Amino acid sequence: MTRTRLSAGAAVAILGLALAGCSNGSTPDSTDDTDTSAPSDDVVELVFWHGYTEADGDVLDQIVDEFNASQDAVHIDVEVNPWAVIDDTLLPALSAGDGPDIVAMPAERLPVYAARGAFAPLDDFYADAANNVGSLNPNAVEMVTVDGTIYGVPAGFVPLALYYNKALFDAAGITEPPADWDEWVEVARTLTVDEDGDGVPEQYGVVLPDHATVANGLWPSLFYGNGGDIVADGAAVVDSPENAETLAFWQRVVVEEAISPTGVDGIEADELFSAGKAAMHIGGPWMTFIAADAGIDLGIAPIPAGPKAQAASAIGISMAITAQDDPAVQAAAEQFFAYFFNDENSVAWSLGSGWPPLRTDVPADAIAENATVAALTPMAEFGRALLPGVVNTTDVLAAVDELTQRTLAGGDIEALLAEAQQKVEAALAD
Amino acid sequence: MALAFLLPALVILGAFVVWPMISAFRLSFTNAAGFGVEEWVGVDNYVKVFTDPEVQDAVVNTLQYTVLFTPTAVLAALLLALVVNNPRLPWRSFFRTTLFLPFVVSLAVAAFAWSYLIDPQVGLLSYWLGRMGLHLGNVLEDPSLAMPAVALVAVWKNFGFYFVIFLAGLQDIPASLYEAARVDGAGVLHRFRHVTLPLLSNTFAFVLVFAMIAALQAFDQIYVMTGGGPYGHTQTIVMEIYESGFRKLELGFASALSYVLLIATLLLSVVQFVFFGRREEDLA
Repeated sequence: MTRTRLSAGAAVAILGLALAGCSNGSTPDSTDDTDTSAPSDDVVELVFWHGYTEADGDVLDQIVDEFNASQDAVHIDVEVNPWAVIDDTLLPALSAGDGPDIVAMPAERLPVYAARGAFAPLDDFYADAANNVGSLNPNAVEMVTVDGTIYGVPAGFVPLALYYNKALFDAAGITEPPADWDEWVEVARTLTVDEDGDGVPEQYGVVLPDHATVANGLWPSLFYGNGGDIVADGAAVVDSPENAETLAFWQRVVVEEAISPTGVDGIEADELFSAGKAAMHIGGPWMTFIAADAGIDLGIAPIPAGPKAQAASAIGISMAITAQDDPAVQAAAEQFFAYFFNDENSVAWSLGSGWPPLRTDVPADAIAENATVAALTPMAEFGRALLPGVVNTTDVLAAVDELTQRTLAGGDIEALLAEAQQKVEAALAD
Repeated sequence: MALAFLLPALVILGAFVVWPMISAFRLSFTNAAGFGVEEWVGVDNYVKVFTDPEVQDAVVNTLQYTVLFTPTAVLAALLLALVVNNPRLPWRSFFRTTLFLPFVVSLAVAAFAWSYLIDPQVGLLSYWLGRMGLHLGNVLEDPSLAMPAVALVAVWKNFGFYFVIFLAGLQDIPASLYEAARVDGAGVLHRFRHVTLPLLSNTFAFVLVFAMIAALQAFDQIYVMTGGGPYGHTQTIVMEIYESGFRKLELGFASALSYVLLIATLLLSVVQFVFFGRREEDLA
C-alpha cells in the first residue's frame, strides 16, 4: 500500500514539479552566457529567439549580423528553435529569469503573454517617426495590440490565399482562378473526380481543412466574406445569421457534393494538395516550397470573394521585448526593431521570407523578383489579423474548430452555433 | 547514523518532490502565470475546478479512458500471464521477453509509430486492413474512435509490465495447492477460481491500482496523437492541466487541478486497498 501510495504521490508530484518549477514569481533579468564574442563591457548583450528554420532564417540571421556590425553599442545573439519549442520553453525560461530579450512567436500567442505582463509596451517606440514603423500595415500592427497597448512588432503578416494546381486547371479547360464563392464551387465541382463511383473522389476539387492550423484562418476568412465574424469589439458574435448562412452553404457543397474531403487539418490538406489529390488549397507562402518539391506548377490567387466582402484572415508572426527593469536592454532591442524596418531590410526580409513587405510604402518593383511575394503583396491590404487582442485564443479557436468540424460532419448548424457562441463567450470572460 | 544513510535520498526527494508539492500548493491559491506579479486569489481556483465545464468534460473523458484502458490492460496481462505460466508452453522465455518489450519503448515514440500505422493516407495498418475490406477511416479524427485508439496504444505499451507482475504472483503460488485441488477433483476453472484468484488477489489489487493511476494520468500519447481532439473528445484531466498551465499561462488554476487529481487518486487507491484487504480477511 505504502509503495503504491508513494508511486501515486510521486507521479503527481512530478507534475507539480513541472508546474512549480516554472514559477518563482520573479521578473526575468537580462541574461545570456552563451556569447563568447562579447567585445567589451559597454555593449548591451541581447538574446533573440526565433523559429525561422529555413532559408528565411538565414536572411533574418544576416540582418542581425549586419546590425551587430553596424554599431558597437548592441550585440544580438540569435537562438533558433522550432516555433512549438519556443512556445514550450518560453514560460519556464521567463520564470527562471533566463528568458530571451527579444522573442518572435506566432501572432495568436502574443496576447496570452502580453496580458500577463511578459512584454514591454511599445507605444512610445511607435510614436517616434525615426523608428520606421509609421508605415507598417495597420492590420499587422493590430495583431500586436492588446487592450489598446502595442506590445510588439510584426515579423510577418500574410493573408491566406488560394493556391491551385495549374496542370489540373489546364486539363479541365479552366483558364482563370475563381473570383467568388459560386465560381469557386463550380470550378471545384468540375475538378472533383470520382472515377469508380464509390462516393469517395480520387481527386477533390478543393481541400477545405475543418480544424486546427490553417483551418483556424480559413473559416474566419469565409465568415468575413459573408459579413460575419467570431469576435468583434471584444464580444462574441459567432452565432449570427451571416455565419449560419456561410456554414450552410459550405456544408451543402462539401457534405452533399463531396467537393472537399472532411476531417482534415492544414497539414493533411498540404499533403493532399502536394500529392495531386486536390486541385485547390487555402494556404500561405510555404505552399510555394511544398509545390516545388512535389513538382506542381502553382497558381496563386486571392481567396474568392464572399457575397459581402473580399477578405482573408492573415497568418502572422510577432516579435516582442520581454519586460524587464533594464531600460538599456529595451532601448537596444528597439534600436534593432528600427533597423529591421529600414528601407533596405524591409525589402530584404520580404524577399528572403517570401512574405509580403510589412511596410505599405515599399514600391512594387522592389519585390517584383519574387513571384510569390509579388502575387501576395496586393492581397495584404484585405488581410485581417486573426482574433486581434483576444487573450484566450486557445479556447476561442477550439470552439471554432469544433463548430466547423462538426458542421462538415453534417451537424445541426443552429445548435452548433449556439454552443460555439457560449464557449467563445466563456473564453472571453476567462 | 541511520539518518546519514537516508540523507542523500531525503535531499533529492525534498528538492524534487516535497518542495515542488508545497510550492504548487501555494501556487494553487494564486493567479500565477510563472512570471510577473502574482496575486492571492483564495479558493477561486478550486471553485473553478469544480464549476468549469471544460474540467467537467475532461473528467468524463478521463473516466471513459479509464474504463477503456484499465480492464483491457489488466485482463490482457492476466490472460497472457496464465498462458505463459504454463510449464508445458514451448519458448516461454521468448514470450516473456517479447510481451514485456513494448513497455521498454517510450510512450511518445509508440504513439508516433501508431499514428503513422493508422494514418488514413499513408498508414500500413490502414492499407492492409483496407485490402481485407475493413476501412478504418480517419480514426484519430473520429469522435467515437479516437478515445479507444489512444487507450489501445496505452494498453499495447503498458500491459507487459502488468503481465510480468502477474507472472511473479502466479509463480509464488505453491504447486502443492494445485495438486491438492486436483486430488480433490477440481477442474481447470475450479482451480483458477478457488486457488489462483484468491492467492493472486494482492497482486491483482496492486496491478489494478497501478493501472488506474496510469489511466488517470493519461497524457503522452494523447498529446502526440490527437492533441485532445477531435474537438475535445480526448481532452483528459492531465491534458487540461497542461493546457491551462503551459498554453493559457494559468499556473495557479493548473496547480489547483493537479491537487484535486492527486486527492482523487489517493482516495481511489485507499478505497481499492480497503476493498481487497477486506476480501483477504474474509478468505482467511
